[in-house]
Amino acid sequence: MAFAPSDPASDAVLTAHKILIAGGFGAGKTTLVSAISEVRPLLTEEPLSTASVGRDNLVGLPNKTTTTVALDFGRITISESLVLYLFGVPGQERFWFMWDELAYGALGAVVLADVRRLDDCFPSVNYFETRELPFIVAVNCFDDAPRYDLAEIRLALDLDEDVPLVLCDARQQASVKNALIRLVESIAAGNPATLSAQGRRLTIGR
Amino acid sequence: MPPPDSSSPGWRSAGRWVRRDSGPVVRPYAVTGGRTEPADGEVLDVIAVVVAMPGGDAEDDDPQRRTPEHRRILALCQRQATVADIAAGTGLPLGVVRVLLSDLILSGAATVIRQRSAGLRPGNDVLQEILNGLRAL
Repeated sequence: MAFAPSDPASDAVLTAHKILIAGGFGAGKTTLVSAISEVRPLLTEEPLSTASVGRDNLVGLPNKTTTTVALDFGRITISESLVLYLFGVPGQERFWFMWDELAYGALGAVVLADVRRLDDCFPSVNYFETRELPFIVAVNCFDDAPRYDLAEIRLALDLDEDVPLVLCDARQQASVKNALIRLVESIAAGNPATLSAQGRRLTIGR
Repeated sequence: MPPPDSSSPGWRSAGRWVRRDSGPVVRPYAVTGGRTEPADGEVLDVIAVVVAMPGGDAEDDDPQRRTPEHRRILALCQRQATVADIAAGTGLPLGVVRVLLSDLILSGAATVIRQRSAGLRPGNDVLQEILNGLRAL
């Protein structure tokens, strides 16, 4: 990276926003984040030394032998002063302590669903519904998974009509990009114009 | 077709650990002197933006106050950086980075750049900027 020597104070203030990527174990969170992120970093959180062997449910996931014990973290530079971060939130129950912290101040979330194990994403859907955090459900199109109609999936998930439901190939950047666009569009659609004008003016530090 | 997560550098394959980097051999909180809470009590958000202060004592080499990890963090926030960027850049756990950053902030070597309140939804202008950026990918 060739940066000109700079006076940090003269740089435009960097604004960071975050989007959470949730879903059950093995739903494709790591794949999705790496398909769109400009970097491939991993974040670790400390109490993660416990081996997950024998603890994670691998039924129906023939190729999944490891769990992501670190946080997937992706970065999309929108402009010099605006960066979007994606955080894959670990789906296993023992990592739930991290969710509130990550969800705090998040723009919204993408819940990745695997039609072979749809119930795995119920906790994520419930979480975001309860927190009133905008989210979409993206059905990850695994090659060997059966195909269902989106209406059937919506019914099975008992998903509100105003929650976007999209098909997604987590390996494809274009597909992931479309899912994120749907999420941001739906956040904007739920944003009354007056509220946004007000929100912008307030700069309360935290 | 590859399984869903086969693209990620394997954490464990064929029964042995293959870490992306071999990592530190000391226990993570050894570099904070065993402290697990930030000195100022403020838990920085994972996307809080921090920056080194010009003239903020960056050359302080007293090992009592400034460890090699402190200096690595300070080097990474010569430009504005998020807590997540710093944790990824140093390979240190988030909790450790928070503790060390709070030391740097308390000593005046770095500062947190205040953002809009995280409790507020961003305005449509920000969302539009994000949409434009995503569409341009």
